[in-house]
Amino acid sequence: MKKVARNLLFLIIAIASASHAEQAVELNGIEVMQETYNRHQQYPYVYEEQSIVMRDRNGKLDTRKAHRYSRVEKDGTAKFMLVFDYPLEIKGVAVLATRDSSGKMSKSIYLPAFAEQLIESKGENSYGNFLGTDFSVENIIGERLTEYQYFRRQDRNIDSVQYFVIDVFGPDDDMRSTAPLKRHFVRQDNFFIGQTDHYDNYGRLHKRQSHHDLKAVDGDMWRSGMILIEDMREQHQSLLKITRRKFSHDYVPAGMFTADWLYQNYPYVAPAEAIEENNNEEDENLSVENGEQLSRLGDGGEIQP
Amino acid sequence: MILKLFRLGFNDRKGVFLALLIITLFFASGLPKLEVDTGVDSLIPADAPARVVYQRIAGEFGTDNRTIIYVRDSKLWTPDKLGKLEKLHEAMEKTTHVTRVDSLYNLHTIDGSEGKIDPKPVLREAPRTDEEALIAKQSALANPLYKGNFFSDDGNVTAMIVSVENIEDDQHFSRTMFDALEKLLSEYRGDFEYLVQVGPPRINAELKSSLYEDFVLLGPLSALVLVLSILFFMRSGLSAFIPLVTSALSIIWTFGMLGWTGIPINILSAMLPSLIIVIGSTEDTHLMAAFFRGLSCAEKEPRKEAIDYMASHIGLPLILTVLTTTLGFGSNMFSDIGLIQHFAIASTFAMLANGVITILAVPLLLSLFGSNEVKTASDNETTLNLPGKMIKTFRYSQDHFPGSILVATALLCLFFIYQASTLYVTNDPLSYFPSDRPLIQDTQRIHEDLAGIKIFFIALESNTKNVFQDPKNIAKLAEIQAFMKKQGVFDRSISIADHLSFVNREFRGDFAESSLPETRQLVAQYLMFFHRSDLDSYVSHDYSRANIVVRHNISDSHTLNSYIEELQDAVAHIAGPGIKAHIIGENLMVNHAAENLMVAQVKALLILLALIFIIMSAMFTSFKGGAIALVPAIIPIALMFGIMGLLDIPLNPGTAMVAVIAIGIAVDGTIHLLARYNELCRRTSDYKEAVNIAVQEEATPLIVSSLALSFGFGILLLSNFTVVAQFGALAAATMLFSIFANLLITPIIMSKVRLVGLYQILAMKIDKKILDCTPLFNNMTNYQRRKAILISELNEFGEGELLVEQDTLGRDMYLILSGQAEVIRRDDGEARTLATLNPGSVFGEIGYVREAERTADVRATTKISALRFDYEKMQKDLKYFPNIVAKLNFNISYILGERLADMVEHSKK
Repeated sequence: MKKVARNLLFLIIAIASASHAEQAVELNGIEVMQETYNRHQQYPYVYEEQSIVMRDRNGKLDTRKAHRYSRVEKDGTAKFMLVFDYPLEIKGVAVLATRDSSGKMSKSIYLPAFAEQLIESKGENSYGNFLGTDFSVENIIGERLTEYQYFRRQDRNIDSVQYFVIDVFGPDDDMRSTAPLKRHFVRQDNFFIGQTDHYDNYGRLHKRQSHHDLKAVDGDMWRSGMILIEDMREQHQSLLKITRRKFSHDYVPAGMFTADWLYQNYPYVAPAEAIEENNNEEDENLSVENGEQLSRLGDGGEIQP
Repeated sequence: MILKLFRLGFNDRKGVFLALLIITLFFASGLPKLEVDTGVDSLIPADAPARVVYQRIAGEFGTDNRTIIYVRDSKLWTPDKLGKLEKLHEAMEKTTHVTRVDSLYNLHTIDGSEGKIDPKPVLREAPRTDEEALIAKQSALANPLYKGNFFSDDGNVTAMIVSVENIEDDQHFSRTMFDALEKLLSEYRGDFEYLVQVGPPRINAELKSSLYEDFVLLGPLSALVLVLSILFFMRSGLSAFIPLVTSALSIIWTFGMLGWTGIPINILSAMLPSLIIVIGSTEDTHLMAAFFRGLSCAEKEPRKEAIDYMASHIGLPLILTVLTTTLGFGSNMFSDIGLIQHFAIASTFAMLANGVITILAVPLLLSLFGSNEVKTASDNETTLNLPGKMIKTFRYSQDHFPGSILVATALLCLFFIYQASTLYVTNDPLSYFPSDRPLIQDTQRIHEDLAGIKIFFIALESNTKNVFQDPKNIAKLAEIQAFMKKQGVFDRSISIADHLSFVNREFRGDFAESSLPETRQLVAQYLMFFHRSDLDSYVSHDYSRANIVVRHNISDSHTLNSYIEELQDAVAHIAGPGIKAHIIGENLMVNHAAENLMVAQVKALLILLALIFIIMSAMFTSFKGGAIALVPAIIPIALMFGIMGLLDIPLNPGTAMVAVIAIGIAVDGTIHLLARYNELCRRTSDYKEAVNIAVQEEATPLIVSSLALSFGFGILLLSNFTVVAQFGALAAATMLFSIFANLLITPIIMSKVRLVGLYQILAMKIDKKILDCTPLFNNMTNYQRRKAILISELNEFGEGELLVEQDTLGRDMYLILSGQAEVIRRDDGEARTLATLNPGSVFGEIGYVREAERTADVRATTKISALRFDYEKMQKDLKYFPNIVAKLNFNISYILGERLADMVEHSKK
């Protein structure tokens, strides 16, 4: 009986794989990406509690904690806000980004120790890393499919996982003669982007973003618990760990993506009221723990192109 | 003993030859083990406490051992040029041992224009359009942190800073690194108007290649000059050949010793072959001159007798001069700078080895080569017009204006000592090269467009974390930098305070330029705009330590040290309690060692002068002898230091050694002169004449050897190293001054003293019984008796010869040492023998004390050896040897008293 059951299971898996394979053969680049977005961008309201661990070329670690708020409005406008919470000195520092329905991105920075003032920030491409990390806003909220061309390359099987390899080009690029801007490695089993390689204008790899600790959060929708981003030229890394995640509009009300909300919740700290203490012990513990984790991820588990 | 030593080469040729051969082979086998060290490390005292601090700080904030790639092009900011630069950046990053390349391709900046903040890289990749290139140029030049450090004001120059691993064990590392970078640069050189590297690898590589070039050039050239000058002055092929053999052996021994002991060759060692050839030849010249004098008086076996003559006349002075020269070089061992210490060990060994080789090999060679041809001093004099004319002029001056000469010399010395007060010290490796060298010109070029290539750190340390997130402490960094700006000598300094004030400016606008954030929070929030690696060189990860990186172009150690000292006080004051401050850098340690150079130089000089004074005082049993020996040593040194001050020549590892080495050599001539004068004084009571003869005899070898030394040292002017060239020029000048001092000043002073050599006292062979029984030496110690004998004149008389003639005036008194004589009184043609005189007897004492006619003849009945005490001479000597002469006078009065008592007794009978 057991043997029959086992054979049945194999059969189901084989059929499932075959159907995936069939599907995989049929899809082109944009279709793969469409499927990816369809599956994993189902919830417009996301709240996350994150730790960002940064390691420099000498192996020194810095840890920050932040809250991430994002929501997508009905007209397609995406709003994103990252508010730092730790260390205490940077509490309230925020990055506020909006991408309207036409795809235009605007970013602002709020420094509560500077003034009650949102300062507009330039840097609209994937090089526009924010606040000393290796992440750009686009790295976190994802790209708009209509702004790019996608070209599917030969699939790859890496560590027994089958990947679509999708090259990403600018809207006007000749895909046959120009180097891609990015290359996505999309898992064929769940259509989740496991890794993205970012290239410079000369086709050289300059940044690699990989997703780890994948979990199915709802049906076909998956999320990663950790995102590692590596700057290949400057040899530093940032690891974003999601410690808590909520998909609920209650956590990200529309009114919070404003300057007023920030001023109210993280008011300007005048010099006279400035704190003197700092948070050494917690910092140390976080560094040790995160450093070990970052080393594990940084030393393997990535897809080599 | 000295005679035996010199005879070894003659008596046991095979044995000496074999011994020299075996030792030479042994040392030659050490030559392949030779190591070369041109690293900066040898310029820093090994026990410098700053080393440890430096290692720690360099470990944290990055090494100051950085190479600057200087790129100049009027079209630098075009896609084509920037594309090439990017490729160069990448290629350098991939080069083995390169740890980091900082260039416009990994610099980050913040643009706060138009009310927006844009943190961005200056250039992430090569621009594709002219517009992109122009934007990059604008953002690069707008950043005050980079202007002067990475970009020139006009933007036509950019620097790429390459940090390399610090590999000290591999002596070829610098060369490998320099070649690797040079290979890369050569590929791109055609693409830019000017592309060059300057940094420790290039400096070390150039030091090493220059060292090899010096080795190839200087040694053979010195040998050639030596041969030519000896042939010119001595007119003897043998005199030129022998120094070449002894020098060659000494060079093999010395470098073999360095190979065996692992002492590395450094830039100063490049002059060792020249020094050995030149200095070693001086002794050979003296020996050859004595040998030729010996040949002229030889009878049966010319060579053997000439060698004996040479040994007995020059043997001891030669050993003494070897000793003083060795002391001169050896005194440099007091320096704690490895470069000088290693050279001191090598040169001291070289001088000793040369002494041993000379003593063994010269008699051996003289017994084998050359004819028995007689070369007398007068022969030399006639052929040598220059020494002859010089001596003539000097003698005239000494005879006519001795006082004026001494006063003029004293005034001259005072003037030069005054000039010497402007002397300054430098130990900067770049100052070792002449200013027309491409390396120096490139350094200068960099300094014209960017900050200097020399770097040091001002590190502030606290035990508490996050101290340097506190605005109060960041303000301290800014205050220190403001102080440096006031000092006005350092090109550029950068700290975390600059980074913060830059961000502040971009956030608040230009009016906030130089102002700092006021709160710890704002500091932390501004710092978020930098990636951690942008701040690596300026603040520790936990913010407990901060670092100011300073660039400058000062190569005068004294200036640098005095400003650093001033800065140190200010930094300590500004840092306040709880924060430790270190001003540190390899370049600073090297320059700081210059102060040690000065101290070590003074120490070595004083010790050497004291040693020479003691040795010479002992050798001539008189402090005056010691003092006289110092005069011709001090005069050239005073002149030398004065010239350094006048010509703005700094005291550096090369010039610092001139004084002690020159004293060691210059005193050689004095020793020869004093020894000869002392010898002549035993034969005559006319000391002035003794001085003249001594000067005449010693002038030729002294002038020849000093000129040969000058020429030899002059050869060093062709060295690739300024320090060696300056050493050569100064040493050459000092040798010429020493001729003037030895032949003009020393004789004037020498004629006023009477010296007795300790070696003569010790070597004297006199029957002790005679000394005991003679009343002349009553109550005198053995030493006093020997000295008294040496004050007198030793005369030899044949059988039947008259020592004293009746009815003649004479003021001599005699003491018979060996043989017999009789006292004969002649009255009316009838001769009566009054007494027979045996060894120990004294006669002529009445004529000695009172000018009166002799009352009897004294005739030798056998061959006699007698000491003659001349009244006038003894009166002169009273002031030089008061104790001895007083005792002798006392004993003479005792003898006279005894005679009177005898006569009274005799008349009673």
